[in-house]
Amino acid sequence: MGCDIVTVSTDTQFVHLAWQREEKELADVKYAMGADPTGDLAKTFGVYIDGVGLALRGSFLISPEGKLMNAEVNFLNMGRNIDETMRKFKANLYLLKKPDEGCPSKWKDEGDKTLKPGPEMVGRVHEALAD
Amino acid sequence: MSIQVGQDVSDFKLTTFDSENGGFGEFNLAKQKKDGRWSLLFFYPADFTFV
Repeated sequence: MGCDIVTVSTDTQFVHLAWQREEKELADVKYAMGADPTGDLAKTFGVYIDGVGLALRGSFLISPEGKLMNAEVNFLNMGRNIDETMRKFKANLYLLKKPDEGCPSKWKDEGDKTLKPGPEMVGRVHEALAD
Repeated sequence: MSIQVGQDVSDFKLTTFDSENGGFGEFNLAKQKKDGRWSLLFFYPADFTFV
């Protein structure tokens, strides 16, 4: 769909190689596995845990223009929901084409109702969503 | 000072292990931009762990 995924941890690329070969859960992995042993990239995104040397569970969506469009950070013990990540990516793809619209919280996919913010909608979002 | 949503991300390069071709490669944000591709950076604590 036009998005490249790269996973990142503070492990080196050699550990990634070993892990992908060992762990059967990773047998179908098609994405690149990035190595950030200095933690510099994790620090740029604010997910480096000082004193521990590991990264928090952070996902960051960057547009083709290089803008950070979404960030989601979970603590170590909780995984991220890939359906939600996909939903946010689809919303971003849609909104890049429609800069005057907004995706409300229940938006799931193209074709779902969006909002066109403007002065006439002030105080009338309920009516706008009910249309 | 870490980056905030809505800001531009400075170009960076990341050494990668690419399981599709079984070798080492590079993720380059400048190239992603040049190719008009979205990028999803997915940080996690460590290989050989769980969740």
